Amino acid sequence: MKQQLHANRIQLTYATVLSWTSTLGIIFVVAGYLVYVFQLLPSTVSPSEVALHWHLRAAELHKIVPVPSGWDWIYQLGRGDVLSYASVVYLSSVTMLCLVVIIPLFLKEKDMIYAVMTLLQVLVLVFAAAGIVSGGH
Amino acid sequence: MNQSCYRSIGSGFFLTLLAGMLLFLPAVAFAAQSQPPVQTEWWIWEIALFVFSFFLGIIAVIAGVGGGVLFVPIVSSFFPFHIDFVRGAGLLVALSGALSAGAPLLKKGLANLKLALSMALIASISSIAGAMVGLAMPENMVQLSLGTAILGISVIMLLSKNSAYPEISEPDTLSRILHIYGIYYDEHLKKDVSWQIHRTPVGLFLFIVIGFMAGMFGLGAGWANVPVFNLVLGAPLRVSVATSIFVLSVNDTAAAWVYLHKGAVLPLIAVPSVAGMMLGTKIGARLLTKVHTSVVRKLVITLLAAAGMRALLKGFGI
Repeated sequence: MKQQLHANRIQLTYATVLSWTSTLGIIFVVAGYLVYVFQLLPSTVSPSEVALHWHLRAAELHKIVPVPSGWDWIYQLGRGDVLSYASVVYLSSVTMLCLVVIIPLFLKEKDMIYAVMTLLQVLVLVFAAAGIVSGGH
Repeated sequence: MNQSCYRSIGSGFFLTLLAGMLLFLPAVAFAAQSQPPVQTEWWIWEIALFVFSFFLGIIAVIAGVGGGVLFVPIVSSFFPFHIDFVRGAGLLVALSGALSAGAPLLKKGLANLKLALSMALIASISSIAGAMVGLAMPENMVQLSLGTAILGISVIMLLSKNSAYPEISEPDTLSRILHIYGIYYDEHLKKDVSWQIHRTPVGLFLFIVIGFMAGMFGLGAGWANVPVFNLVLGAPLRVSVATSIFVLSVNDTAAAWVYLHKGAVLPLIAVPSVAGMMLGTKIGARLLTKVHTSVVRKLVITLLAAAGMRALLKGFGI
């Protein structure tokens, strides 16, 4: 029997967006890291300084060195460590981007259950990303 | 004895040695959770982490376990990073693996979007809660609960028997309302296989527990997702594995944001781990047909149990 694909249009759209955004994410993450460790751009905190404190709890490390966290880096994108951190943030946003794309498709197919469920899922992730339900400040 | 047997014995010896080292080496030799690390250049740790994650990636694929579940207990034992950062990196390792594997599985129709979305919503909320609890807990409590969880996971992995094509006599009401059913082309049977699920409310409850644990310890949760999809809900094994990967991408995204906001993600630790693990899994997939996977799987479970035991001992301050 010849193989047939059984994914519907919404699933295929999700897969296409995921494929592009995740590949870009991996490229960004590796590129950002190389810029940081080879000090191609000035950094807020050098790798050697971070390494001196990476045995401490996250909260203690942040009291000593101003490494980027949450969204506090947004106005410092020209720095190597910030760029590397921003690439990790992008990777953590890929799922959200994919989910946002399929909401209108569910609506178009009048599949209200999944349109609402996907919208709720996006809201949960957006709230987490905004720090509203994830202890951000 | 053929070449693959020698390879298996070699990898077995390596893993047994590693398990022994993990359990018996004194804490000062490697991990320095609350003391300053031994003065080693930072870039040596970076290279070591990349190489270590690379081999972990190979072993994880051969043993059929997720890299995330091996990463946290082992890296927190061998490297001088605080477990907060190891958990943050562990989540990103599991997330990036799930993101890169997700697209082809969705395109083939093996991962099912509706099944995944139904479980992921509730699991992602509990995964945020788990991450917040995990980052607020005292260090010894984290080690104690991680040790207990890892030992439990080892037992589940050792005892769980998958069912390739579970028989479902009738789907439950909730799964009918949610239109959770599907059809996929099975390359082994060379024919289309249609499937449906039952016991959806039980599955939803179990995903709350799984999400919480994944967020709390920064573990990928394939070890739990797959048995729940397959044995509890009754989805075929291939659909369970593929859909589990999709659910991981949603849950780990939610938990990763908690770690990002709490400052528990350091690119210096996360990126070499992600890159090493992804490269390792690609090589591991190629080696998959050349080694005795069952032998490696048993040894990896032993390794995991040793890492769990070590975390428990750390938790007790031993």
